[in-house]
Amino acid sequence: MFFVTNNSTKSRAGYKKKFDSLGLDIPAEEIFSSSFAAAAYLEQTKFKESGKKVYIVGEVGICEELDNIEVPWIGGPDDAGKQPDMGPGGRLEHDEDVGAVIVGFDRFVNYYKIQYAQLCINENENCEFIATNLDAVTHLTDAQEWAGNGSMVGAIKGCTGQEPTVVGKPSPLMIDYLCTKLGLERSRICMVGDRLDTDILFGTDNGLQSLLVLSGVTSEEKLFSPQNTITPDYYADSINDFFLEGSKTSGSTSSASSATS
Amino acid sequence: VTILIALCPFVTKTAFLLVLSSHASIKFRSMMKFGRFVFPTLLASASAFSPKVAPRAFTSTRTALNANVLKLSEPTKEILDKTDVFIFDCDGVIWRGDSLIPGIPETLEKLRSLGKKMFFVTNNSTKSRAGYKKKFDSLGLDIPAEEIFSSSFAAAAYLEQTKFKESGKKVYIVGEVGICEELDNIEVPWIGGPDDAGKQPDMGPGGRLEHDEDVGAVIVGFDRFVNYYKIQYAQLCINENENCEFIATNLDAVTHLTDAQEWAGNGSMVGAIKGCTGQEPTVVGKPSPLMIDYLCTKLGLERSRICMVGDRLDTDILFGTDNGLQSLLVLSGVTSEEKLFSPQNTITPDYYADSINDFFLEGSKTSGSTSSASSATS
Repeated sequence: MFFVTNNSTKSRAGYKKKFDSLGLDIPAEEIFSSSFAAAAYLEQTKFKESGKKVYIVGEVGICEELDNIEVPWIGGPDDAGKQPDMGPGGRLEHDEDVGAVIVGFDRFVNYYKIQYAQLCINENENCEFIATNLDAVTHLTDAQEWAGNGSMVGAIKGCTGQEPTVVGKPSPLMIDYLCTKLGLERSRICMVGDRLDTDILFGTDNGLQSLLVLSGVTSEEKLFSPQNTITPDYYADSINDFFLEGSKTSGSTSSASSATS
Repeated sequence: VTILIALCPFVTKTAFLLVLSSHASIKFRSMMKFGRFVFPTLLASASAFSPKVAPRAFTSTRTALNANVLKLSEPTKEILDKTDVFIFDCDGVIWRGDSLIPGIPETLEKLRSLGKKMFFVTNNSTKSRAGYKKKFDSLGLDIPAEEIFSSSFAAAAYLEQTKFKESGKKVYIVGEVGICEELDNIEVPWIGGPDDAGKQPDMGPGGRLEHDEDVGAVIVGFDRFVNYYKIQYAQLCINENENCEFIATNLDAVTHLTDAQEWAGNGSMVGAIKGCTGQEPTVVGKPSPLMIDYLCTKLGLERSRICMVGDRLDTDILFGTDNGLQSLLVLSGVTSEEKLFSPQNTITPDYYADSINDFFLEGSKTSGSTSSASSATS
């Protein structure tokens, strides 16, 4: 099994700590955060050979993953709280060696970071615009829905007119990486998630089986609403239903988890 | 026509050319369709005769579409006689950053003495009308506040049009003081704006941001103090308050905050709110027709007698062409001649000029011949 998350605020190592704190002993190699996906993308595209830097709009997870692959970066948490010089004749000096801007969820996003990213993307030749994910909302805390990286990415799209390369779900990048590196067969993989537009789409778009669980943000109403166009192979209350008491091994439909019920 | 010209004796060709040259500037454009055929034929068969009107050079940077954009050469005939009202964009037309473009006060005076009405529109929402009047004053331009249309004013005008005050609801502002002042002027209650700069929401375990359920509209304008608190507040209002509107003052990707570089514009603030709500905003600034509809309705103006003057193709000129106005692009701001004629550009103003001072260009003729200083063929 592998554990993927579109949340880029922690690195793989950071997420291992979270798993540990919850009493789950998961090897780091089984964890795929979108911060790790961004670094994997830079490795795939041999970014290090360009000798360029990365400007990060995001938190420490991306910084740690870039350190792991020895790609130099600037920005990230260092630029929280900064304001550019906007007096008469003021300008923000940006590093012309930035070859890619990576945008991940950033609770400390501000105008300084937006302007820095805009200058890099619009003025540095062939500067890439990479996004860890596009989730509109996320569960920062379980008390409400919080604006997600869709807003940080939206801000940079809005001042550059460019579409980013998305490395997290539902982009195929993480699946391609897994299948290539580990020689997996797609039809024997099952994607399990609680969001239709990231998790299940990730599954259906990439030839995987898919299971929607109702233990997260999506309700049965949302799944069956006329506006929904994404159909998982099955849905269940949670992954505990894999071992549902009274489930049959073949033939009959179990009332708790059939797609037709 | 080509065949006729080729067959005609020399005298007839000369007569034809004289007829052409007398209609050079206006009819020239419509004759360009077969000009490519006519002129080589003429030149080939009249070697001793040099045409009074030189053929337009088709350089590789000009598309056939953009070849129809003429440089202003006879301003009175081409624009002044056909226009009662001018709408001027401010940045790149009247001023650049904090400095007045030279010659502007005299040009505006001359236009007023010709009896022309004028309005000054800007997509920058950080100041109210009153705030912009102060800027005009500081540059030595005496402009009545009623002639100024900032996108902050446009947002308030939209709320009046839609009778927002009757709903009894509030507005949440992502933006600066200009929007706050304009909403005060129409007595619509608001929260947010500069008050929420520097705030951070409670993101600890179980943390939440309480939002006002009486917010009936979120207005997003340029905000140098945008932060996650404001983004989250706007997201909650738009996603959770029933029928909450999402209004944007403008979508400019970049703006001239200072004249030293291009600065990320309100496109980024609006992009942030689009990215967490999936909603498209109602845009009140250029190139949306709102400000034009407001002007024409309130003041009974005739669109074809209005000329839009600006330095940006995708806001100013599109504003003109989309709304049935005449349009003039000036090169005194962000757009160069190369950009205007680049193959990627699909927006064509009626004319272009170096600046609005060209309305009173020395040596401009009132009819017929093309002036060498501003001819499109030079």
